[in-house]
Amino acid sequence: MRGVIEGGWEFVIAAYAVTAVVLLGYAFSVCWRLWRAPRHDGR
Amino acid sequence: MGNSRWPFVTSGLGLALLVWGSVWGLLYAPREVYMGDVQRIMYVHVPTAWNAMLVLTFAFACAVLSLLRGGWGWDARLEAAVEGGVVLSALLCTQGSIWARPTWGVWWDWDPRLTTTAVLLFAFAGILALRQFVDDPVKRAVWTAVAVVIAYVDVPLVYFSVRWWNSLHQLQSTPETVSRAFHWPLRINAFGVLFLMIGLVELRARLAWRRRAAESAPPLPSRVAMAAGSL
Repeated sequence: MRGVIEGGWEFVIAAYAVTAVVLLGYAFSVCWRLWRAPRHDGR
Repeated sequence: MGNSRWPFVTSGLGLALLVWGSVWGLLYAPREVYMGDVQRIMYVHVPTAWNAMLVLTFAFACAVLSLLRGGWGWDARLEAAVEGGVVLSALLCTQGSIWARPTWGVWWDWDPRLTTTAVLLFAFAGILALRQFVDDPVKRAVWTAVAVVIAYVDVPLVYFSVRWWNSLHQLQSTPETVSRAFHWPLRINAFGVLFLMIGLVELRARLAWRRRAAESAPPLPSRVAMAAGSL
């Protein structure tokens, strides 16, 4: 035990993957819902 | 609410900054002495935390302005900011859990910082749920604004929890507590999330505005009524 963390790339990749999925997914969700929402002038 | 394209440009710029900062943080930033490569999670975790606080602070400002001045624009921005804050808070808890496993040995601990952040997430998620259950737009706007003002009390508790109570979590990351070698990817990703959320909150506010306008719009004449009128 040296108090140093060895390896751990799987956690790094998981954190970046979750971040990408959540942010891109939310961006897509907002654009999709806005595109689907009717304008109040009926368009 | 306008229809200009600036939110798309802002969001695109934010995504580009996030890619740049993440590549820098993953491939070019040095390893931290004690945490090794696991510390690279900081480049997405800390910008998420900063921006979650910022978005929820914007929601608080919208709530106060909605109560003082009224107007559906503030209510639409409030709904957008609360949703953005919930997304970032959920992401924050997930990233933190992934970072906690290799450093603390557990996925979760009822530590003051983690507990207050979980309370924040569920409080604002509850406010979003509340909006779904209230049909009257005026009551919905007032109740949501009051609930946001009350829930916002937890934001300073989250921020100061690591100073006020014994916490496993480290102190806040600031330029003074982070080594110079780690500054640039952290800052680039912080601005990346900021620009992305500015664009997305504006677009989400436009969506809320359209739904509100549709609620108050007169119903379209039904086919039956039109047919009767033509007789």
